[in-house]
Amino acid sequence: MDFSQIIPALPDLMDGMWLTLKLMVMAVVGGVVLGTVLALLRLSSNPVLSGLAKAYVNIFRSVPLLLVIIWFYLAVPMLLNWITGEFVAVGAFTSCLVAFMMFEAAYYCEIVRAGIQSIAKGQVNAAYALGMTYGQAMRLVVLPQAFRKMMPLLLQQSIILFQDTSLVYAVGLMDFLSSARSRGDILGLPHEFLLFAGLIYFVVSFAASRGVKHLQKRLAV
Amino acid sequence: MSSMISINNVNKWYGDFQVLTDCSTSVSKGEVVVVCGPSGSGKSTLIKCVNALEPFQKGDIIVDGISVGDPKTNLPKLRSRVGMVFQHFELFPHLTIVENLAIAQTKVLGRSKEEAEAKGIKLLERVGLKAHAHKHPGQLSGGQQQRVAIARALAMDPICMLFDEPTSALDPEMINEVLDVMTELAKEGMTMMCVTHEMGFARRVADRVIFMDRGHIVEDCSKDDFFGTPRSERAQQFLSKILQH
Amino acid sequence: MNYNWDWNIFFKSTGIGNEIYLDWYITGLGWTLALALAAWLVALLLGGLLGVMRTLPNKWLSGIATCYVELFRNVPLLVQLFIWYFVVPDYLPESVQIWFKQDLNPAVSAYISVVVCLGLFTAARVCEQVRTGIQALPKGQSNAAQAVGFTVAQSYRYVLLPQAFRVVIPPLTSEFLNVFKNSSVASLIGLMEILAQAKQTAEFSANIFEAFTLATLIYFTLNMSIMKVMSIVEKRVRIPGLMVEGGK
Repeated sequence: MDFSQIIPALPDLMDGMWLTLKLMVMAVVGGVVLGTVLALLRLSSNPVLSGLAKAYVNIFRSVPLLLVIIWFYLAVPMLLNWITGEFVAVGAFTSCLVAFMMFEAAYYCEIVRAGIQSIAKGQVNAAYALGMTYGQAMRLVVLPQAFRKMMPLLLQQSIILFQDTSLVYAVGLMDFLSSARSRGDILGLPHEFLLFAGLIYFVVSFAASRGVKHLQKRLAV
Repeated sequence: MSSMISINNVNKWYGDFQVLTDCSTSVSKGEVVVVCGPSGSGKSTLIKCVNALEPFQKGDIIVDGISVGDPKTNLPKLRSRVGMVFQHFELFPHLTIVENLAIAQTKVLGRSKEEAEAKGIKLLERVGLKAHAHKHPGQLSGGQQQRVAIARALAMDPICMLFDEPTSALDPEMINEVLDVMTELAKEGMTMMCVTHEMGFARRVADRVIFMDRGHIVEDCSKDDFFGTPRSERAQQFLSKILQH
Repeated sequence: MNYNWDWNIFFKSTGIGNEIYLDWYITGLGWTLALALAAWLVALLLGGLLGVMRTLPNKWLSGIATCYVELFRNVPLLVQLFIWYFVVPDYLPESVQIWFKQDLNPAVSAYISVVVCLGLFTAARVCEQVRTGIQALPKGQSNAAQAVGFTVAQSYRYVLLPQAFRVVIPPLTSEFLNVFKNSSVASLIGLMEILAQAKQTAEFSANIFEAFTLATLIYFTLNMSIMKVMSIVEKRVRIPGLMVEGGK
């Protein structure tokens, strides 16, 4: 095994890591926002809204992420075509981002919902008793507490998302794993580059989950 | 005397189970009314109906001329004028004490942050907790938290105050500090409706006592009548149990 | 651009032999089931063992199990699959290597790689659930077991595991469902399970939406039926008066 060739290839790999991180951060932000909306819908007293949100969550949670990635890769350009009536080049990155956001939203929704439900009913009553509207009670009292409580879970889910971004390999997007694989193939050192990629994923995820555990302990006090 | 809260034939069901049956009473301006009764008698439910935290199916409640049950009523606006104190304090744990006092003033009443905080500090001083203004609720004792909760309700300049078992979650040595604040409030002429088991407080401060059992208002009389002359058997049983301790 | 909706597509000929598209999906479902069930068996046995190890007082045993979990949880599944499929075979003894790479049907060697990969990956997650289940039992149970004279092994065998097993059924069910979903990575090394068949159908017929809708439906049905079965199992083994958590 010859790992010395990895060093000159590092700039290329950094480009891949940059794409991985960009995809992850955007998917986390979009996923948490959409997931929070879904959670509020699921908890709404309107049976149609809560039913729709529940169906969304159940469907996305029962299919593989890879299926969503590939499906969206093929379908998003076509959908946009229908909507706008003209051909738009969407690009693998955008379709992957949409796929990740919509898929992860189903998981974030369940975390946020549990977080909201963990806030005692008395808090909502106290907010109402002070004259707050539903929106104010959620925004000023319930969600800030709920997000604090579920922060470790949200971060853990985001670490899983970081690892899952490697699945964009399926649609040829040059993320960290794909760029390591392609460099390795070009240089005839596929094993070395693959193992190196695995090591980097390990170091990042391991350090991040240690950080989350630390945070969890601090929040528990 | 003009009536601040008037409760007319209120009925409430949880599914098939009736929790309130034909409850009628009223609280006049400046009056202090204590509501007591065994657990499960519906007294907490009744007081939560007054500011519509609990919906009811039949009857009506009028607070300062406004019907609570009317779907057209702006409930947040009505509630902002009715102060409420809860059994478990329900301070907002993610906010400091002074923020707890200011948040509804700014967001609901539209006061400026400075004005709200100044008013908050003044009220904290009044309940003897000014030094704790920048702590979080979790750092205070139960009795202190409940005093903050009273101050938070007062910060909204309420026209009347509802107390839902304000001392039942407290350790015995902290009960009096809360009752003292309530007594002072009553002396200043605040209209108060208090669900409580503290019969000493009722004897000292209340104008009227309401006794509830199984969803009915069984007794509704002046304090002297309640503690003095003969009354319903159930109220007698209740009193003898409570006062033995 | 016009899209020709055609929900009858699944009953049309693929143009290869006299197969219709539905046949592809049936073959795909067969592979998915074969992958998931075999990988689950590996995961359950190994994960159960590791889970018990993590709760043992012996530092070495629990340390090994902890390292295993950290390693397999922090490397993406796809990276692990590539390592098992592309790297590991090159380091096998010569004779095994020739057998794996040349004698075996390529689909079978891909199958073996995925089962090993998915089994070991899932074992780390099963381990964590088992550990949590054992640690969730009241401390008094383990004390009581030792007080009646059980050895450590006996207290696990007769007291702790029979209780923990019931506690972990719901989280293990969700891991079981994950195995089905994760088995779709097999499509990336050419194994024709459901997702690969759907993709192939989409490419052959150009009926993208129908092709993936059917795949979604298959996964959804699989999920729902497994959850149904597991909730029946859970009710069957429930200890009266115990663990009503979530049942209020």
